[in-house]
Amino acid sequence: MWGWVFVLPALTYFAVFSFYPIFNAFWLSLHTKNPLSLRPPRFVGLRNYLDLLDSATFWNSWKATGLFTLGTAIPLVVLSLLLATIIVSRLNFQRFFQLAFYAPAVIPSVVAAAVWLLLLDPRGVANQWVNFVLGLSGVDHKWLANPEMVRFSTTVVYLWEKLGFFTIIFIAGLGGIPQSVKEAAHVDGAGGWQLYRYVTLPLLKPTTLLVSVMAMIFCMRTFATQYLFTQAGAPRESINVVTLSIYTTGIRDLQLGLANAMSIVLLLVMLVLSLLQFRLSGRGES
Amino acid sequence: MAAGSLRKRRAVAGAAVVRRTPLEVVVHALGWVVLVVALVLVLAPLVFMFIASFMPSREIMRMPFSWWPSSFFLDNFWQAIKGNDGKFIFPRAILNSVMVSSCVALTTVLFSALAGYGLTKLKFRGSNIVFVLILSTLMVPFETVMIPLYVVVTGMGLQNTYAGLIVPFLLSAFGVFLMRQSLLTFPDELLDASRIDGASEVGIFFRIVLPNMLPVMAVLGVLTFEQQWGNLIWPLLVVQAPELRTMPLYVVTFMEEKSTNEGAMVAVAALSSLPMLVIFFSLSRFFLKGANVFSAGKE
Repeated sequence: MWGWVFVLPALTYFAVFSFYPIFNAFWLSLHTKNPLSLRPPRFVGLRNYLDLLDSATFWNSWKATGLFTLGTAIPLVVLSLLLATIIVSRLNFQRFFQLAFYAPAVIPSVVAAAVWLLLLDPRGVANQWVNFVLGLSGVDHKWLANPEMVRFSTTVVYLWEKLGFFTIIFIAGLGGIPQSVKEAAHVDGAGGWQLYRYVTLPLLKPTTLLVSVMAMIFCMRTFATQYLFTQAGAPRESINVVTLSIYTTGIRDLQLGLANAMSIVLLLVMLVLSLLQFRLSGRGES
Repeated sequence: MAAGSLRKRRAVAGAAVVRRTPLEVVVHALGWVVLVVALVLVLAPLVFMFIASFMPSREIMRMPFSWWPSSFFLDNFWQAIKGNDGKFIFPRAILNSVMVSSCVALTTVLFSALAGYGLTKLKFRGSNIVFVLILSTLMVPFETVMIPLYVVVTGMGLQNTYAGLIVPFLLSAFGVFLMRQSLLTFPDELLDASRIDGASEVGIFFRIVLPNMLPVMAVLGVLTFEQQWGNLIWPLLVVQAPELRTMPLYVVTFMEEKSTNEGAMVAVAALSSLPMLVIFFSLSRFFLKGANVFSAGKE
């Protein structure tokens, strides 16, 4: 009996703020409704979904999210694995590097995006440094003006923000590999690279898979950077990711039925990824 | 345990130093190069933010950027605090964010602990189903339900209120999950002993369970606070009134204002980041632990 009393607040909360909204969204996605009018929602069946299939904006938003997710998640996993491997192999400064790489993650992403707007300005540090490395002078790379470059810029900002987080997860994963296994391989004559390639990496596979799925989920949820960049006048189309598109459709264009249908589609895609993550992290087992 | 394994790892690595081949020495040195380059790239934007906040706009946009201010120019901060219209909305926005984030962190910790305790130590018929139901909401990222939630919250008449900002985040499935996992190993003997002494269930929870759960609660609280502090999307949906804007929302509107100059903008950014950076460096172990909670689900 007491169990119910303790769980009741949580249960009520999830019923009202998780389950009800999702069912309501599904119901609303089968209707049209303008939030400013008093008329009750009108049933339109699958019309909203069919409209989505016809809508160039919808397909473009998935293209933007897809390209952003792949273009960001892959470098994110590779770079964080690389950094974690190097950090773990150091005798000193392990904690210092972890903290330093994680620090950008605690900066709110809008704030970070605002700072990056200045760095990516035609007169900004990004142009200066890239030109220095490439041996150019005075070239403007149009970080915020060229549609393809804007996509790349959001990727850079996101990488910068999330690198430390995944590095730390990899460090934990590397720390979880039993020392005895490595020593045994060492005794068997495995050198540094062989040890890493044939012992460490295979044993790290669960962590790598988990990190990959998590990185993809994170990337698909991105919003603040793209929102701030478009507000600052960057070309919208190439960074009009699904979340931004849902926001614009629902709140700015007041097409709630359509926005709900878009949310349901995003939900289904994310559910598949999340189920995968559950499997990988072993959370399902108790 | 962590310190022990670290020491062991160091000892083994230390032994390896002796029999390093020339190739390994080169690889090790290359590792340092990669680390240092990465460090410079990661820290440069942060350093830029703090240094530029002491520069007049002209100097921020000068090419090449000089990584030290010619003089410590403080007008940016004054301009940032007072705002373009002189109405001091920025300090108000910071206060709003502190309030909303603290409320959310407190309720999340408390209700998650309650639910986690009920689900592990006071098992009832159906408690497993309840847990699975709660866990299933973990798979629903906020962005997919924001429009549905917006419909619900405006339906409750909570648009443009503090309650509207707070209410969707009173609790998190992640919190319940975290609390349940850590309570699984909580000794039953302690609870039974108090029951024999005649303590009530509520009394046991607040006097025995909560005090022993402080470290996990701190991790959850810090993570939740951080998340809310940076939350842009929800305030963007439910708040239009200037005096209810949270810090992220203010940053957007401030950037959009025509009369905002680069100096004031970067000062707003620096002032908004500072609290989280201070919390981060003083409570870093909770953050590092927090990041690992996501991966070490079974621990």
